[in-house]
Amino acid sequence: MNLLQPILLGLLNIVTVLLVAPFCEGLLRKITARIQSRQGPPVRQAYFDLLKLLGKEDIESGESPIMQRVAVYLSLATVLTIACLVPMGFSAPMNGAGDAILLIYLLTLAGVCTLLAGLAAGSTYSLVGISREMMAMIALEPLFAIAVVVGAVHAGSFRLDTVLNGAVYGEGFPLSGIVMFAVLLLSFQAFVQRVPFDISEAETELMEGPLMEYSGPKLALFKYAQQAKLVIYSGLFVTLFVPWGNGLAFPLGWLVFWAKVFALVLLVTLVAATHARYRIDQAIRYFAGLLAVALVALILASYGY
Amino acid sequence: MLTPEQSVVAAILLCLAGAVLTLLVSRSKTVAGWLAFAITAGSAALVLSAVVPVLTKGPGHPAQFLTMPAVGFALRIYVDGLSSIFLLLAVLVAVPAALYSIRYMKHYADYGVGRYYPHSLLFLAAMYGLLTTTDMMWFFFIFWQLMTLPGYALIRYEHRKPENVRAANKYLVMMQIACAATMVGAWFLAVVGATATGSDSLKYDFDTVSANLPAMLASKPFDTGVAFALFLAGFGIKMGMWPFGQVWLPDAHPAAPSPVSAMLSGVMIKTGVYGLMRYFLWLVPPDAHANYPLANWGWLIAILGTVTLFTGTMQALKQEQSKRLLAFHSIGQIGYILLGTGACMALLPVVEPTGNVRLLAAIAFFGAIFHVLNHGLFKALLFLNAGSMLHATGTQDLNKLGGLIKFMPLTAVTALVASLSISGVPLFNGFASKWSIYVATIQGTGAAKYLAVCGVIAILTSALTLASFIKFFGVSFLSRTSALVKQQAAKRSKLEVCGLMQAPQVFLAVLCVALGVVPALAFQLMGAALNSSRQGFGTALANAAPMTSTPVAGLETVNNTALFAPVALAVVLGLMFLVVRAISKLGGAQRRAAAPWLCGYASEAECHRYVAHNFYGEIKRYFKWLGGSPAKKK
Repeated sequence: MNLLQPILLGLLNIVTVLLVAPFCEGLLRKITARIQSRQGPPVRQAYFDLLKLLGKEDIESGESPIMQRVAVYLSLATVLTIACLVPMGFSAPMNGAGDAILLIYLLTLAGVCTLLAGLAAGSTYSLVGISREMMAMIALEPLFAIAVVVGAVHAGSFRLDTVLNGAVYGEGFPLSGIVMFAVLLLSFQAFVQRVPFDISEAETELMEGPLMEYSGPKLALFKYAQQAKLVIYSGLFVTLFVPWGNGLAFPLGWLVFWAKVFALVLLVTLVAATHARYRIDQAIRYFAGLLAVALVALILASYGY
Repeated sequence: MLTPEQSVVAAILLCLAGAVLTLLVSRSKTVAGWLAFAITAGSAALVLSAVVPVLTKGPGHPAQFLTMPAVGFALRIYVDGLSSIFLLLAVLVAVPAALYSIRYMKHYADYGVGRYYPHSLLFLAAMYGLLTTTDMMWFFFIFWQLMTLPGYALIRYEHRKPENVRAANKYLVMMQIACAATMVGAWFLAVVGATATGSDSLKYDFDTVSANLPAMLASKPFDTGVAFALFLAGFGIKMGMWPFGQVWLPDAHPAAPSPVSAMLSGVMIKTGVYGLMRYFLWLVPPDAHANYPLANWGWLIAILGTVTLFTGTMQALKQEQSKRLLAFHSIGQIGYILLGTGACMALLPVVEPTGNVRLLAAIAFFGAIFHVLNHGLFKALLFLNAGSMLHATGTQDLNKLGGLIKFMPLTAVTALVASLSISGVPLFNGFASKWSIYVATIQGTGAAKYLAVCGVIAILTSALTLASFIKFFGVSFLSRTSALVKQQAAKRSKLEVCGLMQAPQVFLAVLCVALGVVPALAFQLMGAALNSSRQGFGTALANAAPMTSTPVAGLETVNNTALFAPVALAVVLGLMFLVVRAISKLGGAQRRAAAPWLCGYASEAECHRYVAHNFYGEIKRYFKWLGGSPAKKK
């Protein structure tokens, strides 16, 4: 087995995600500011923020500081591992280490780390945020899972290079694939935890929820993980639903992939800047509706439509 | 050298003798405890000496120990691969539970151990017997009662609490109904005057029934259908299948002392799974396929499994008592096992040229049986954790707990391992078995359309399980230290349980992680087990060999459609962890401890804590109709 190629590709993915994530955040802030008729910070401010936080005092408020540290480190570590499972202009680096089911569960694990960190911090605000975030995860995990499963049913395989290659559309645009595209587009803000679905953090009422007690390098890592998540989910969405052009020869395929990711980030920004936050019960009703539609799509897919 | 069958009988006899001995020394809790542990360990060694040769060299021959031809009474014992896996699970849980009991039982100040150790040894002996006997009538009855009656006594151990007695009575009634159902089923299948392998005296023996089944299925399809329905009901009651499980299981498990809860949930309900697999898949000979509606039974069991896993877990989400929460999760996890078994039965009869579907049937079976093993390990561990919490704080009420990780770090770590395992987080054992079940159900959609929906509901339920255990672990070990914990910590110098109680928890936690990182070991074990139990549909399953499994490269289905390499994943995740840790040190930030911020309005008090009751309000409200909500406090 040739190990060199996956390692190089994995490193490329990780470094790209780490470099691009703050850029996306900066872009997001700038555009939001412009929409709200403000000047906005320069795009590079997002990098400076992270660097500055790394040197700030690190206050640990929980009963178990070790738990807090492990949860925070694991949070970003999981996100970076997921980056190795997503094909970003090339084939997925860890294609030989797991399949689409593993991907679903690793995405959940990334969320779990945030929850554990919040629980370990012990603030009541954190716990309220965690309860909300977990409820959202209960609805969101199956949505993403159904998208993957529809792809797996059409392709007859769980392999990442098969599923994350527009497998939802199988051969000739079945109805189920198109429905899932719509469903995931409508819930995408929630996956990347942006307005109108940033219910668990809700600055104005919960003061960042699970992150409330975190400061200094831990907050930097959390922020970094969140920014990386935006990039990775956008990448996943692109590979699942907008696969055209990804297979082109380097550098064309690579450029096309990242162009699509930036377009998606732009879309997220526009929606986030122009919407107000939902209440948790409104959000859950909304997700439940989407889940019902997704289940219908799954039944359609199992009958080959 | 004893044959496997003789070893099992010796183990049973040892436990029976031990029951008498521990009764004699029950005046001293310590002596009785150590004696019971020694006997459990001795019987475990005997059982292992039976299991190892069966798995490595193949099964021996059924051995007959007692016969009474007049009533068709024969103690015939046979240890094959399927029995071996379940025996192995029984041993892996029983020994830690026995070790845990020694110190745990001391905290019952006003209840003696004379009703504890003898009964738990009888209980264990009955399980050894039930997993190996080939008699579907009398010895099945004897072992079933030997399991039920001591179980009854153990559940009502704290008999001065009326709710425990009520729980035990419910358990007793349900088990008797289950016993009757399975025995009537066996009576339907037994042909009078049948002489296949033995004499008339063995008409309820697996071999005789199995030999007569093709003719029965052809001539009396209705009677055999009723018989199998009765088996499903009987074993369904035992394992806690919806709707029977909700009747007795959530009351019985919390009532028993924690090591017994671990045995009840880890092993006893699995005897129902064993019965289901044995009767539905191993009893029917392959040449009876045409008249045996296996796919329909598979459909029924898969749907029942899906309903069980969803209802059980959703009801568990509402619980605020630690052991009651775990008991509802037992129902939920049994649902996964049923779904795997059902999917296997639905896919097995499908004939298609590539053999792909048969492969998936075998994967579903592997998933089911691996989940049996995994659930036994992590649920036993969780019950021991709950026992330690109970031992330290004197309460099962999660609302009153908090911040225990500071006082009980080792219990906290093992509880975290178990919580992550049951939630199916990758690199823990629950993931590998759930993964197999998902692969089989979702890819099996081509042959049975409903399976994809079942699989997705199982994925959704796994998120519910996670939510429930985030709550369980979070509010008891993390969060803020509660008033009760503070008070207990002030009263006693240390809350953490002693080494004798820690060792079993650590042992089970290590097994959970080991099977999670190297699931290939379990798959090789299960492959060997199937190889040494080639009767009925077992042959087809053994021949399928659906996975390539190597410890380092992990698991991969033979047709290359799904793979999981935990070692590679662990290496990458570990490296990333170190990288992230290094990044966090780059700025040289100082660390400081401080209390959480309450907006500066009030100092922290008990009423500010966010407790178990507050979690997931919206979801609990939407699913109120599903029942299982804890009773309102008066």
